[in-house]
Amino acid sequence: MLKYIAQRLALSIPVFLGVATIVFLVVRVIPGDPAVAALGDYASKEAVDALRQRMGLNESLPVQYVRFLGSLVRGDLGKSMITGSPIRDDIAHALPYTIELTVLAILIGTFLGVPIGVYTAIRRNRLADYIGRVLSLTGLSVPAFYLGILLILLLAIQFQWLPATGGGGMDDLRENISHLILPALTLGLVMTASVARLARSAMLNVLRHDYVRTARAKGLKERVVHLRHALRSALIPIISVTGIWAVSLIGDSVTVEVVFARPGLGKMMVGAILQRDYTALQSIMVIYTGFVVVINLMIDLIYGWVDPRIRH
Amino acid sequence: MRSKFVLVLVLAMVCLVGAPDPASAAGILRIAQNAADIGSLDPHFATTTQDRSLVDMVFNGLVRYKPGDGSVFEPDVATSIPASRIVDGKQVWTFQLRKGVMCHATTGVPTYELTSEDVVYSLQKSADKNRSAYAADYTGMTVEAPDAQTVKVTLDKPLSPVLFFAKVANYNGGFIVCKKTAEKLGPDGMKTRPAGTGPFMFKSYSSKERVQLVANPAYFRGKPQLDGVDFRYMPDISSRELALRNGQLDVINGAPDKAWVDKMKGVSGVKVDVFGVGEVAVLHLQTTAPPLDKPEVRKAIAHALDRDEFLALVGPGIGENVFSPVPVKFLAGGLTRQELAGKGLDYKTDREKAKKLLADAGYPNGFSMEMVTSEMTGYRVLYESMQAQLAKVGIKANVKLVDHSTMHSMIRKDANPLVVYIAWRPNADVYFTQFLHSDSTVVTGKKPNTNFSHYNKIDGLIEQARNETDQVKQVALWKEAQIKALEDMVVYPIQYQNQVYARSTAVDYGHELISVLALYPGITEKTRLTK
Repeated sequence: MLKYIAQRLALSIPVFLGVATIVFLVVRVIPGDPAVAALGDYASKEAVDALRQRMGLNESLPVQYVRFLGSLVRGDLGKSMITGSPIRDDIAHALPYTIELTVLAILIGTFLGVPIGVYTAIRRNRLADYIGRVLSLTGLSVPAFYLGILLILLLAIQFQWLPATGGGGMDDLRENISHLILPALTLGLVMTASVARLARSAMLNVLRHDYVRTARAKGLKERVVHLRHALRSALIPIISVTGIWAVSLIGDSVTVEVVFARPGLGKMMVGAILQRDYTALQSIMVIYTGFVVVINLMIDLIYGWVDPRIRH
Repeated sequence: MRSKFVLVLVLAMVCLVGAPDPASAAGILRIAQNAADIGSLDPHFATTTQDRSLVDMVFNGLVRYKPGDGSVFEPDVATSIPASRIVDGKQVWTFQLRKGVMCHATTGVPTYELTSEDVVYSLQKSADKNRSAYAADYTGMTVEAPDAQTVKVTLDKPLSPVLFFAKVANYNGGFIVCKKTAEKLGPDGMKTRPAGTGPFMFKSYSSKERVQLVANPAYFRGKPQLDGVDFRYMPDISSRELALRNGQLDVINGAPDKAWVDKMKGVSGVKVDVFGVGEVAVLHLQTTAPPLDKPEVRKAIAHALDRDEFLALVGPGIGENVFSPVPVKFLAGGLTRQELAGKGLDYKTDREKAKKLLADAGYPNGFSMEMVTSEMTGYRVLYESMQAQLAKVGIKANVKLVDHSTMHSMIRKDANPLVVYIAWRPNADVYFTQFLHSDSTVVTGKKPNTNFSHYNKIDGLIEQARNETDQVKQVALWKEAQIKALEDMVVYPIQYQNQVYARSTAVDYGHELISVLALYPGITEKTRLTK
């Protein structure tokens, strides 16, 4: 197993470097000038030129690239091109907001989606199944940002139960949780719809198998047949989808963080794009890439653990 | 048993999270701007609305624009508004400083009293292109400190009061930074840790999230009535609106759209403010490349356009038609429609006349043009409307959508034969200098800036007006210059767009809102929360 982990980790390094290089180039292909974005339209060409010089934008791309890679290897994410503040500190501040949002959304998606999927499969072609299918289709059709606004209107504006925007302080649990519920619910409900559909079809597939019929023939209770025998097999594709969703949620969290004005990595990235803050943007992208690489690595490891044949 | 456990858990969660953010109860004003983050809080690099708003609360000028009314100057850290005198052909302005103006404490620099040495340092910084975005406004200015409370400003060429005070007021390069603080913080520190002499002091900055300010108990006009200001960056209008409705925010930057204003006016506990200064949208017509090098073509374009169609995009009240590049409602030197109509320079919509002018110019079937516009709604809708209006006289405008900063870069490289530009400038001279003086011609000017027309026929009038100290004569010269530019049809003023903010009815700004140069309502020591 250790050898397998080492192999996967070693393979992640070129992936990571390749993505970092693409990110570096893509960031510089984005049209617009950080100096103009920073100084606005009032500033004279002289002032813009002076700022470009100070930002290091007049250096050649290879020089900027070598400096970027060198810093990356040293674990130095550099300073914001606009504000001059250390990007590592900014990311350290933003990252917990994104992690807690993604983790809670995955938990909501999994712990709501799987039971709904299992229940609707057991109740196939009955009222509960129809309702579950309509709801999951609706959930898949509604964009996360729109669902977020609907939830704000209902729970924050109409009932005033929860705050509409912001992230709450990390040092205040009550405030933090109150700010987390709505955005996590938004992301989690979208995931729930997908997981429920998949869990339903996986369960339906398993319920047709001979060993399930055998379990019933042995006189086991339906609950035992469903949960101990059928669900255990159905979980394999569900775990796979959960991994894919974890990666997908990182992307969706960007729009949700903007809608809810959460000070997470997604909002930080959008801000960096708007300001043409190249150094911040490439560092954020590298962190996102790191997330995806790590999640994929974890999925591979779980597969290897669940099915040892994959390791070989 | 299990369902009871779930019920208890849900109740516990509801009790735990409870109602929304109660921050305002402590007297903290929570305001959200349409921005992703700060640009720079060094006041001499603060060029965007979100930065101007913040530095306005932290710094002072020698004089200031009266809160809520940008047409009036009043003393700020100076004791009075001085008169100028001419010494050896140069104009001298002498300011006496108030006593007891304290610089905010910052890391490594305890609070200390502002002296003329700080003012000299600050104005010299404003004139340095490496330390200021406004350096061009401070050429030909010498600043001295005869004693600790006196500042002497000498100008190589005399200026009228309205032009000079703009350079030493609480706007752009006129903000005063404290020398010891600025030297201690350095250029990077100044960007994110502003420290001045204003009613509010910097407390914290959280990237892409917020800046927190606290009241300055030693403020020379008295301790602010607010405990502080929580300034948040929220680029999404829906988020700002929902947070205001939810009671999480007290003031938000709204949408410049009558439908949005009308909607928010119907919300209980919310008040909407629509106020100046209005950013002026002007169409600049390139004069050197065919077919726009022919005056008949430029006039045909002017007659093909309908200001009311443009105005319908934002709605009356939010915007207002303008007929001269300098907005007459806010600045000396502007022209009213009545003043121009007699000369036919209001360019009334007349599409038959436009077609005839095009035919006379050799374009009976019209022509086509390529241009870019920003993705920002304010620009995009104006270009789209212009495109539709020009099509009615046979002119095909192919408009390509690019992001905002790309548009700024491209129009400065002469990409557009027609440039719509929306801007506020603090006085008529800046409008003329930046948009109509040949030195500012894009690409080819001595100091390329925003003269998109390549116009060079009123340089003499602009310079003469700039150095005219008699304000009546100065205004007459500005009007003459604009009449000439309109006769040549190098600029077609479209409209100005007011500022739109919404606030909780509990917010009392402490002043009437007529016009604010910083494009936000103005938060001062008198601003308070009444709940």
